Amino acid sequence: MGLKLNFNLDPRTKIIILVLISFMVFNEVPLYISGILVLVPFICLFFSNRIKLALSYILIYIFAKYIQIYLLPTATGIIAIFLIMFSYTATRMLPILMMGYYTIQTTKVSEFIASMEKSNIPKEITIPLSVIFRYIPSVYEEIKSITDAMKMRGFGLNAKSLKNPLKLIEFYMIPILVNAIKTADELSAASLTRGLSNPISRTHFVEVKLNKIDYVLLVISFMGLGIYAYYFLGGVLFA
Amino acid sequence: MSEMINVKDLITVGIFAVILTVLIFLFGMLGYIPILMIGLPIIAALIAGIPYMLFLTRVDKFGMVTLLGLILGIVMFLSGHTWIPIVVYTICGLIADIVLKMGNYTSIKNSIVSYGFFSLGVFGNMLPFYILRDYFVESIRASMGTDYVNVILPFLTNEMLIVLIIVTFIVGLIGAYIGKIVLKKHFKKAGIA
Amino acid sequence: MLKIEDISFSYDNNETNYNLADINQNIKEGEVILLCGESGCGKTTLTRIINGLIPNFFNGTKQGNVYLKDNLINEIPIYEISKYVGSVFQNPKTQFFNVDTTGEIVFGCENLAMDVDEIKSRLDHVVKDFKIQPLLDKNIFKLSGGEKQKIACASVSAVFPDLFVLDEPSSNLDAQSSWDLEDIIKNWKQSGKTVIIAEHKLFFLNNVVDRVLFLENGRITEKWSIDEFKSINHRDYGLRQINLENLYVNHDGYYSNNQDLMELRNFNFKYGKKQVLDIDGVKIPKNEIIAIIGKNGAGKSTFANCLCGLKRSCKGEIIWGDVHLKRKDLLKKTYMVMQDVNHQLFTESVLDEVLLSMGEENISRAEEILTNLNLIHLKEAHPMALSGGEKQRVAIASAIASGKEILIFDEPTSGLDLKNMMKVSENLIYLQKLGITSFIITHDFELIMDVCSHVLHMEDGKIIDNYKINEDKLKNFFLKN
Repeated sequence: MGLKLNFNLDPRTKIIILVLISFMVFNEVPLYISGILVLVPFICLFFSNRIKLALSYILIYIFAKYIQIYLLPTATGIIAIFLIMFSYTATRMLPILMMGYYTIQTTKVSEFIASMEKSNIPKEITIPLSVIFRYIPSVYEEIKSITDAMKMRGFGLNAKSLKNPLKLIEFYMIPILVNAIKTADELSAASLTRGLSNPISRTHFVEVKLNKIDYVLLVISFMGLGIYAYYFLGGVLFA
Repeated sequence: MSEMINVKDLITVGIFAVILTVLIFLFGMLGYIPILMIGLPIIAALIAGIPYMLFLTRVDKFGMVTLLGLILGIVMFLSGHTWIPIVVYTICGLIADIVLKMGNYTSIKNSIVSYGFFSLGVFGNMLPFYILRDYFVESIRASMGTDYVNVILPFLTNEMLIVLIIVTFIVGLIGAYIGKIVLKKHFKKAGIA
Repeated sequence: MLKIEDISFSYDNNETNYNLADINQNIKEGEVILLCGESGCGKTTLTRIINGLIPNFFNGTKQGNVYLKDNLINEIPIYEISKYVGSVFQNPKTQFFNVDTTGEIVFGCENLAMDVDEIKSRLDHVVKDFKIQPLLDKNIFKLSGGEKQKIACASVSAVFPDLFVLDEPSSNLDAQSSWDLEDIIKNWKQSGKTVIIAEHKLFFLNNVVDRVLFLENGRITEKWSIDEFKSINHRDYGLRQINLENLYVNHDGYYSNNQDLMELRNFNFKYGKKQVLDIDGVKIPKNEIIAIIGKNGAGKSTFANCLCGLKRSCKGEIIWGDVHLKRKDLLKKTYMVMQDVNHQLFTESVLDEVLLSMGEENISRAEEILTNLNLIHLKEAHPMALSGGEKQRVAIASAIASGKEILIFDEPTSGLDLKNMMKVSENLIYLQKLGITSFIITHDFELIMDVCSHVLHMEDGKIIDNYKINEDKLKNFFLKN
């Protein structure tokens, strides 16, 4: 691809950027102000070989902006409401959602935990979070498998069974919860035999450190937020 | 019964956080259909009562429910819901924990009430949308005229938010009650809870 | 090395109902000990006593002491024990804490706060020992069962414990991976480690175990050297065969006389661009018990899913007499008994489970089915409260109730002892008599020899062999070459 750049951000960088982009949701600003923050998730996605997604993201964003600026003033009726909802949700939430997606997709659990523990986050938080990363794929598999089991018995997501949604929820919930309890027990037992309850703080094999690329992105993001804040505060001050 | 939260408790919190997350995301997706967005906390509160009540069978010390809230908030944060959920979920979890503590972690009544509070955490996901709301209204007014806004505005006001919170709380109580029934019907019988 | 002194244990604090009683054993350094016996005999409980899960995790009443190198295990916390005892468990889904392989291998070392250089050298060491270089930095949950168990072994190995405790490690493994596990245990033995292994499947342990302890109702009732053990009749003790050479085909020939065939056409399936299933024009006898064999990753599960009509993009059809069964028909005609049977039990009682499958509820018919499957005494019980074998029978009952004609079993005997395996055989024969065709995806050579009449051998998504049961061909596949 010619893009074999070693684009691997430190998890801490990703989290800081997520926090920064979060501020965007609070205010509506022109594109030249929010542009940098909008571009950060694009950069992350693009250079981590998610080029298609990066491009679709930016296209949807521009499309939403376009609607907001050119179509909304002339639209009427129910279409207008729909366009408003879509364009405002997309322009404000999409960058954050994309950054969140990028963070979750590209962070190895061991890296994430290592960086959290390096920042002295207690294990009361790191252990449940590790479990989450590890268990989500299993739950996804289970949902698929239960759906298959239902199909084979002639009920599933069809009109017949949707008449009784509570039953459907029960059917999904019971097996998943039974396995959840089982997993909690077995995983706890296995982890204990691996020394997880050791009170001495763990060491980390994975090296996490802030590289040049982290600093570059952090500087960009803070600049973006700076412009944003300046505009916002300026607006308040001079309005 | 030890007072310290141990590894098993932490893993249990993690596992149940996954189940609640999946539920919230599943119904959150429905939430992207604009009108259903308002219904999201209500549906979530109703359904998540079952896993919550099962979770409580594993809770016997202060902090686990608060922690569950905090962890859910962090997950929401990481998945792009801004950092607001961290604050909201943790506070709701803490209140729920206090209610449970007052019932010594055995009272059924307190369990149900605690879920009423816990279920309000979902508003952490909603708040960013509520902040967005002002812009919806402005734009709608610009394009549809004031009359139309006056018709739909009642559904989007702060008063409405409060009503929604109260409704969610009540639905939460019902959800917890259903959870209690399911617990008895399935998990007690299956020898799990 | 390990001294077990007067150990008794009861999970439910019941002094009259011990799960383990009067266990006394001295285990020497470098020994490999096999614990065997029927399900519920106490062998898993004994492993828990040794690795410290009792009393650190499981509560109950315990008497007696365990000494590891003259240190009393009861009195040290479990993270201390983990320096000396490494544990491998049965279920690959629940024994990993990490998502990536490398992280999992070093996890124990990190918990024990070793410094990074030390961890690095240990990682290199186990990677070389287990030849797992290609598995590093992968997602554990995308690995095959055998690869997962290798990672589990490597992970406990990295801590350099003196003693390894394995609780049914081969339950989910194919033949080849079981032999790989033998190599791992041999490797440990050669470096002077002690190994205690609780297992039902015994064949891969033939050349590595030194002593065998047989448990019954929580007591050690027999002790054998490996040579004595080889000469006993395993079936007398309810044990699986240790030497697969001794197994022979139990049912030489087809069950049904009418020699009807069905034909599979155009069973293709792709994951992305990768063709994982490619089956066309294969003729298989109807109303037989058909084993589907092949290595992990040969496409057996995909095949099963397509056969059940669960894969939308698979256009395969079965020519069944005069009719062509397309995907939607297959969904109606077939049923899969899943490996995790929990996923297919939905209701609050066994009877409801069967009624749910009927178009029109018919209680007397349901009860008849339950009686035939020996489940009638459990009709009010919650399906989730049953044992693995019973759950399987409930799933079978619901399949019969909905009038299915083809049943597919995904690893129905993984982790089952001889007695329960025989029950599975009985069920299969009962289904055959009802006119049902059963497909069984299995790594269990003993089950195939006991009950199957036809074999489909898969490799790389294709059926490379399709034959009436044949001892030589099967042995060629299952035995270590």
